[in-house]
Amino acid sequence: MKKTLRYLYLACVYLFLYIPILILVIYSFNDSKYSTNWQGFTLSWYTQLIADGPLMEAFVNSLVIAFASSVSATILGTLGAFAFYRYRFPGRKVMYTFIYIVMMSPDIVMGISLLMFFIILGMETGALTLLLAHITFCLPFVVVTVFSRISGFDRNIIDVAKDLGATELQMFRHIMLPMLMPAIIAGWLLSFTLSLDDVVVSFFTTGPYFEILPLKIYSMVRLGIKPEINALSAVMFLLSLITVTVAHLVTKENR
Amino acid sequence: MVSKSGFRNVSIGSTLLWITVFVVVPYLFVLVFSFFQRDPEQIVAAVFTWQNYKDIFSPVFLVVCWNSLILALGTTVITLLVAYPFAFFLGRIPERIRRILLLLMIIPFWTSSLIRTYALIILFKANGIVNGLLLSLKLVDEPLAILYTQTSVFIGLVYTLLPFMILPIYSSIQKLDLRLIEAARDLGATSGHIFLRIVLPLTLPGIIAGSTMVFLPALGLFYIPDLLGGARSMLIGNFIKNQFLTTGNWPLGSAASVILTLIMCLFLYVYFLSSRKARTSGMGEMA
Amino acid sequence: MKKAFLVFFFLILPTLVFAAKQEVFVFNWSEYVDPSVLKQFEKETGIRVRYSTYESNEAMFAKLKMVQKAGYDVVFPSTYFVDRMRRLGMFAPLDKSKLPNLKYINPALLNKSYDPNNAYSVPYMWGASAIGINSKYIDPKTVTSWNDLWNPKYRGKVLLMDDVRDVFGMALRSLGFSANDRDPNHIRKAYEKLKLLKPSVKVYNSDSPRQPFLNNEVTIGQIWGGEVYQANQENPNIKFIYPKEGAVFWIDNMAIPRTARNVANAHKFIDFLCRPDVAKKNCEFIGYATTNSKAQQMLDPKTRNHKAVYPDDATVKNGEFQNDVGDAILLYEKYWEMLKTQ
Repeated sequence: MKKTLRYLYLACVYLFLYIPILILVIYSFNDSKYSTNWQGFTLSWYTQLIADGPLMEAFVNSLVIAFASSVSATILGTLGAFAFYRYRFPGRKVMYTFIYIVMMSPDIVMGISLLMFFIILGMETGALTLLLAHITFCLPFVVVTVFSRISGFDRNIIDVAKDLGATELQMFRHIMLPMLMPAIIAGWLLSFTLSLDDVVVSFFTTGPYFEILPLKIYSMVRLGIKPEINALSAVMFLLSLITVTVAHLVTKENR
Repeated sequence: MVSKSGFRNVSIGSTLLWITVFVVVPYLFVLVFSFFQRDPEQIVAAVFTWQNYKDIFSPVFLVVCWNSLILALGTTVITLLVAYPFAFFLGRIPERIRRILLLLMIIPFWTSSLIRTYALIILFKANGIVNGLLLSLKLVDEPLAILYTQTSVFIGLVYTLLPFMILPIYSSIQKLDLRLIEAARDLGATSGHIFLRIVLPLTLPGIIAGSTMVFLPALGLFYIPDLLGGARSMLIGNFIKNQFLTTGNWPLGSAASVILTLIMCLFLYVYFLSSRKARTSGMGEMA
Repeated sequence: MKKAFLVFFFLILPTLVFAAKQEVFVFNWSEYVDPSVLKQFEKETGIRVRYSTYESNEAMFAKLKMVQKAGYDVVFPSTYFVDRMRRLGMFAPLDKSKLPNLKYINPALLNKSYDPNNAYSVPYMWGASAIGINSKYIDPKTVTSWNDLWNPKYRGKVLLMDDVRDVFGMALRSLGFSANDRDPNHIRKAYEKLKLLKPSVKVYNSDSPRQPFLNNEVTIGQIWGGEVYQANQENPNIKFIYPKEGAVFWIDNMAIPRTARNVANAHKFIDFLCRPDVAKKNCEFIGYATTNSKAQQMLDPKTRNHKAVYPDDATVKNGEFQNDVGDAILLYEKYWEMLKTQ
């Protein structure tokens, strides 16, 4: 009895999480522009989606930015986490606190602060400023993810490596990096999704010459319900489904 | 020796430099701007003034602030109440099924929050699915007003942020040593006692981590009130956005941002205090 | 790692190729052009249109101030913003020799005080902001005045534009003042009156004000004629009523910001929109009154006779066109802020 109730509760929460998405997916096949009633099956919203040049370009732009920013943030963040673990330097504690603050700070404040920064420097908002902004908000997540794994390591490993005559770089490259790989991949994946999904920071840090998918969706959604958005949502949902499953399998193997 | 210190400096310097240039300096700009005067033509005039903070503490903004805090707090409490039993039950499920369930939990977290908000519009509108269902079941006589109300903003926030509460709580429950509970039970403790004295304190870091990850974004997510809210749904995030993108009052927007950042720091401080006490951190487990 | 960079370059390459093309960056009000017109322009000229939208003059102004270096090539400010932005030197002068289709524009709309000799702007569309109702829920005969919005019957069912001048213009007219009033006392009175309306207001929307009507979220409200026209393709019950105190009229104009990069393409785009066949198509799609005399003659009778698109002369006379209010705009904005945050 207790067990059934438990499963029932879990089921309810899952329903809450999934029903809206599933309805979107179903409606993306509905052959009606306005109606919420079922009018028959169609794939036309998907073909319209693919034919929508600016939207596809925004999608490619989003992927480029997500990829570039997550890779850069992962490299920087892994080095940073290693530095926090390995070295004692002035301002270490302050910096680490700051990283938490950045991670938790409201996106909107980061967005406007970077916007001001770029304008004062006279930089043109666009692909470059967007990339810099995305690296900035991804970086702390990588640092924290990698650091939480690295701090569980046995410090003796480093001493042994040093005794065997390894340089810092060699030690990092041949010992730390392989051991940290699962955390690095997790950090990269998290950055990739954060970047792909970000609305608030991007809203302020990109310009007219560089459009990305979430902002495009935002302006579409503000103009009301359109079946193309349903189709787009279904595709995005499928993408995240695949990403998460693959990521799950990859990290499982690594462990 | 050179390469050693070279690597050391690069690894320390890169993050340090990045954070300084792209976080510390821009935040300082916000702070400075919040003391400048507004200039309709040049955006700001570099004249010192307290006026922006006086405006912020006027009744108008305080109402916005108060509403935001209440809404964010409400979101936090509801997500906590939903997430805690959920995470707890999830931990009790056999390993094989749990893996899949956990995966199912993470997928919405990785799906664009904008799209999930959009899905709610389809559900809530007056001629939408929820109302269609209620009407056909004769539960209501005329469509319920859900869209463009505080309620829909509230549901939207809970819906978007729920996974952020579940994941840290789940990871703190995973760390729980079940032998402690058994021992307590052997000693004759009631379930209520065990929960209050053992389970709750040990999972507190997860609760606090989750609450921080729900509360803070709830204050700033301007697009959820924008899309789901109505005439009375202005939150701090929307206020700041409007100052920059519509009214063009950068100094006032900066002052509001400073206030928002201070609220955040307060929360982080509480978080650090309590996690130091518990000596375990749930936040790093998020990924 | 090498592979990763390869992928990166393959991903970034297409965007670089795209960037080399001829383009024009258009920043327009949302839902203010027929998408097929944009496609036609691309096909005929080979210039790619990069289109983004705004929901108020203020938002457009703030954005232009923000992207000071690189910006948009064509914007669509209302008359009173043309005046303001012209004075601030935010526009590039128009080269009339590149706008041969200018001759089709109704001379009655040219050379106005907000832009003498149309040095910087060309009128695009004009229209009214009046009362929209859903006749399924409200008898159209019972609504005749702006003051009907204040009727407690409609509590929680009222839509207002998310536009300071439109909303205050409406309130000022309902009090018998000018929609361009600069008197602080009158503006304050309008604010006090709007405050009383606040409990009735369901939502502010000027992105797509027809949507809340179509979703049955609101049954009455302030709306633009073209929105009603577009809504009628989906739901003929949405009606447009010109209140007896007079509707608020506006003219939107095309202009080229000083920061534009593709000035030649911007001229081509503006001239294209002035071509009678294009203006006709555009007008029939969005349902605002065209400024193009030739296009007006060619219009489908359904559009020409639609009351929301073309009001009769008496209605226009009874209403008032929006104008610049000078520094009083700051007062308007202050009250607007207070109204919205309440």
